[in-house]
Amino acid sequence: MPAFLLIVITLVAFYFGYRFYSRYLAEKVYALDPNFVTPAHELRDGVDFVPTHKHVLLGHHFTSVAGAAPIVGPAIAVYWGWVPALVWVVLGTVFAAGVHDFGSIVVSARNRGQNIGTLSGKVVSARASTLFLLIIFFLLTLVNAVFGVVMAILFQKNPGAVIPALIVIPIAVFIGQWAYRYGRSIIIPSIIGLLLLYAAIPVGQAYPITVDGLAAAVGLSVRTTWIILIFAYTWIASRLPVWVLLQPRDYINGQQLIVALVLIFAGVLVGWDTIAAPAFNEVAPNSPNWFPYLFITIACGAISGFHCLVASGTTSKQIGNETEARFVGYGGALGEGSLALAAILACTAGLGATGDWNAAYADFGAASGGALGHFVTGTGHFLSNLGIPATLGATFAAVVVITFAGTTMDTGVRLQRYILEEISELAGFKALVGRVNLLTTLAVLIPLALALVPGGDSASGKGFAFGRLWTLFGTTNQLTAGLALSIIGVWVLARNRNPLAAIIPLVFLLFMTTWALVLNLGEFFADGDWLLLVMDAAIFVLAAWLIVEAFTAFNRERGARRQTRPANR
Amino acid sequence: MTAVARSAGTQAHAHGAVTHQVILVREQDAQHSGSGCCGRLGEQDTVFGGAADFGHSRERMEQIGTIYRALTERAPALDLVVADPRNIVWLYPAIWRAARDHGLGIGATLRSMARAGSPVAVVLDGETLYSGRLPETGEVVDTVLGRLSRRLDA
Repeated sequence: MPAFLLIVITLVAFYFGYRFYSRYLAEKVYALDPNFVTPAHELRDGVDFVPTHKHVLLGHHFTSVAGAAPIVGPAIAVYWGWVPALVWVVLGTVFAAGVHDFGSIVVSARNRGQNIGTLSGKVVSARASTLFLLIIFFLLTLVNAVFGVVMAILFQKNPGAVIPALIVIPIAVFIGQWAYRYGRSIIIPSIIGLLLLYAAIPVGQAYPITVDGLAAAVGLSVRTTWIILIFAYTWIASRLPVWVLLQPRDYINGQQLIVALVLIFAGVLVGWDTIAAPAFNEVAPNSPNWFPYLFITIACGAISGFHCLVASGTTSKQIGNETEARFVGYGGALGEGSLALAAILACTAGLGATGDWNAAYADFGAASGGALGHFVTGTGHFLSNLGIPATLGATFAAVVVITFAGTTMDTGVRLQRYILEEISELAGFKALVGRVNLLTTLAVLIPLALALVPGGDSASGKGFAFGRLWTLFGTTNQLTAGLALSIIGVWVLARNRNPLAAIIPLVFLLFMTTWALVLNLGEFFADGDWLLLVMDAAIFVLAAWLIVEAFTAFNRERGARRQTRPANR
Repeated sequence: MTAVARSAGTQAHAHGAVTHQVILVREQDAQHSGSGCCGRLGEQDTVFGGAADFGHSRERMEQIGTIYRALTERAPALDLVVADPRNIVWLYPAIWRAARDHGLGIGATLRSMARAGSPVAVVLDGETLYSGRLPETGEVVDTVLGRLSRRLDA
């Protein structure tokens, strides 16, 4: 099948989803009111609360939610065949992510722009705020662990990407000084920086950098050495003021995102490649089945709980007219789905055109450990359709993912530092409060330990630990989404409207998540992966807690409906 | 001048003639692209916003807020937009369109776009008036309204 057709099918499905389902949500479920005075108008201050054009807001919203995660999940999940991966991306985006992202904006806007953490305490229960904090703690731990491994894999397999990835750092530091210290314009320097980065790609290929010698000297594997170096870098980066590195790199990343998306889709259109992967792949012995693992392997790209933080953190405060929440929230979800589609295309049509797809996806271990490599190789092929040498194109793709992952880790460690401090305060453990170096060290060591858990192919055939870490990350991400969907569902029910649009994806996600967690418990126990076992058990407890909270909140609301007329909250 | 700006702006809107737009460019106090899911590291009103990582961005947001409120009060018919410079898909085409609609040459338009791509900037009808650092709020507001008044008189 031509890859182009997949684009057409997906975009048509997204069109119908937007045209009909989001309209149903807008009219029947959220009952958007064009006359409702949004927080942007009610609390208008020009700082946080600003009525904003819907196109401006969509740009803000989309660039805030887009990252590397919608690439990694689909790159692994095509192991089960391109049909299951694509169907979940399309259905998840249309029926779950759209409801979640759109609803998070609406519920937050109807509550004076309060964020989802506050709303969980207000709408679900007071305990839900603590639950939210704990879910985010595990989520960030896993985010930092998986992206540490992602970078290590890419550096190990693409030594030509090391120099361009390193070049970004001084470029960003220079831009930071130029813009933030000297108050100059940043867009032209960042474009020049991007061009310098691209110019460094052939240089990196000419002078590939490996850490084989260092690894041999210290007696560690190459991948472990890279992981430790990356976490050491993250410790330093997260201690710098954000304007030194993080913020200026944000500009380069934003431009890279646009360039990469345009090049991938242009490469597909020009090359007219066909999908070389099987529609449904036969699962190797001891590799996990697609049911339920598909639904937690692709979180971002089908539905991502973290989007509710963006939706309720800033977007809801800037919605000028409530009816525009549909365009921004649902439209943003479709944008994220398009990123996942690009990853599916690269790992099926792109990768298939360059070699033996079946060998690359021989089992789940090969699929998960090699996912990023497959994406990079596939993207390299698409770029070769545009006249760019495939090896350069592959390094380009590796650099895109590495810089995204590096920024994610920098941000994730900072955020984890705050959460650790908050949890220690809640627990009455004052020794950590205000001790930034110690908190940063803890925020780095916890995911580092996870990233180093067992490094090779496991006896059970489930493969490199990355696949397991990734599915655990998916479960916590889906739990965050589950919490937001609970809030949305209870809020809708309280208004005497049909909450099934939120309840169906909620039940589906919780079912798949808990099922996968239970299966993982057995696997980790059998393999003696004790750290992952503890992690999985803790997340399982959170999932059970969430189910109880959601069930109780819905029951309470149903009881209230029977007794009283619905009240506007 | 305030009354002129207000009434002229209203007339412009009422007659569907040339509208005037001010884009206040400033970074949101949170991470954007690249961090993806972990992007909410802002200050106030965002989840886990206790630390002062983005204090410098917050200061600029506050100053833009005072300019925004002053312009809202003195020229309510003005099309006032607050945008992040990292929102490249919307910002630069918008400046291009506005600048060309208001007669700026291609060179001046490109220069304006380059200057607008700054952590903080003020753009009137596609022309970047301030970039990088802003003077006192009153001076910015007076400059914007003065320029606007001259355009309406022309």
